[in-house]
Amino acid sequence: MIKMIVLIGFFLNSFCIEAQYSGYTLSNHPEAFRKSFADAAAATESIQSGFSQEKTLTMLSEKMISTGKFWYRKKDKLRMEYLQPYPYLMILNNGKIFVKDGQKENKFSANSNRVFQQVNRILIDCVSGNMLNNTDFQARIFESDRSFLVEFQPLAKNLRELYKNINIVIDKKEYTATSVEMFEVSGDKTVIRFQNKELNAQIPDSVFVIR
Amino acid sequence: MRKFPILFLLYVSLFTANISCNHYSHMKKTKGDVSCAVKFKPDFRLAEYKISVDVIGKHISGLLLIKYMTDSSTRIVFTNEMGLGFFDFGFSGDTGFTVYHIVPQMNKAALIKTLRKDFELILFKNMDESKSYSLIDSDTIYHAYPQTKGVNYYVTDDQCNRLVKMQRSSKKKPVMEAFFYDYLTGQSPDSIFIHHLNFNFSISLKKITPLASQ
Repeated sequence: MIKMIVLIGFFLNSFCIEAQYSGYTLSNHPEAFRKSFADAAAATESIQSGFSQEKTLTMLSEKMISTGKFWYRKKDKLRMEYLQPYPYLMILNNGKIFVKDGQKENKFSANSNRVFQQVNRILIDCVSGNMLNNTDFQARIFESDRSFLVEFQPLAKNLRELYKNINIVIDKKEYTATSVEMFEVSGDKTVIRFQNKELNAQIPDSVFVIR
Repeated sequence: MRKFPILFLLYVSLFTANISCNHYSHMKKTKGDVSCAVKFKPDFRLAEYKISVDVIGKHISGLLLIKYMTDSSTRIVFTNEMGLGFFDFGFSGDTGFTVYHIVPQMNKAALIKTLRKDFELILFKNMDESKSYSLIDSDTIYHAYPQTKGVNYYVTDDQCNRLVKMQRSSKKKPVMEAFFYDYLTGQSPDSIFIHHLNFNFSISLKKITPLASQ
């Protein structure tokens, strides 16, 4: 009887995992994915793209939508320029963060604001392919016909207080992130979708300059 | 004898300081039109603002959503530009308040209490007309609504045609002021500015484009 309950539990659990992400099943070849993803990441020197960001406030049944431009260059240079609904600029370069909010400009060390640093680190790791090496998270890999979905569950206490999990959707052709989904503890989620991606374009230093 | 002028000056200055400490003492108290200020209550059915917060040299920004819910409560949600939710507060009835969510970094009782009181003032909460009174100050009227601690004032022109500002005060002096800009009565203001007078803390809100409903 106990064996039967355990068996039923096992099947139910498997079913829940399979059904967790519509169209995706748990990958049978996670190591092959890891290798292909690492190879693609190693070959990616830079990414520039547009992005749209959609924040869903679950309890309020509302969506907040932002759009902008995105630049990444190895190893840790990132520029996110929000254009809508209002201009907002954030640059990360060599452990320093620059934020321009309207006329206000702020510069600070990434180390001085641990949460800001971790959230931005997540974004850099997501697009650079380094997320699988981020020891703050535990990863599970799912796949569909056209893409992989990597689910990252935070292990670090301060990240667990913010996020339930963070998923990256990776297309099977280029092995680069097409979207990042951040599920908050509150039940809200934010999805950043990258559009018109250009890999390994020459991005000048001036894009990442912090004055 | 020599000490007399010094002591006299000290007493005078203490007496003057005591009087000047009470910001409202020179105003004439009347019963006034107690319902007048209520008409300036804004309609935050669904409003999205760009929010900038400056507190003791630190600056944070993001988006602030104010929404009237079907159960007649009001929700105020603050997220940063990258979508991370900072807090989600609910206001119900006159004094009901719920913290639905707050990030650990902001989960400080004093901060929550301050934000609650600030938002209650601009949401026109806890306006008990039976306790209210008016103070007349030359060409403005301070419509006073006593709170558990302190008083909330809605300051209008002498004809009560225009909301000049809102004020939270201790027993004797204002501790915080709030202003609506480009505000058509009964709608949501285009801009809101909140600033504290006893420490360096201000909140600026600027309305942005309408939201996409799910």
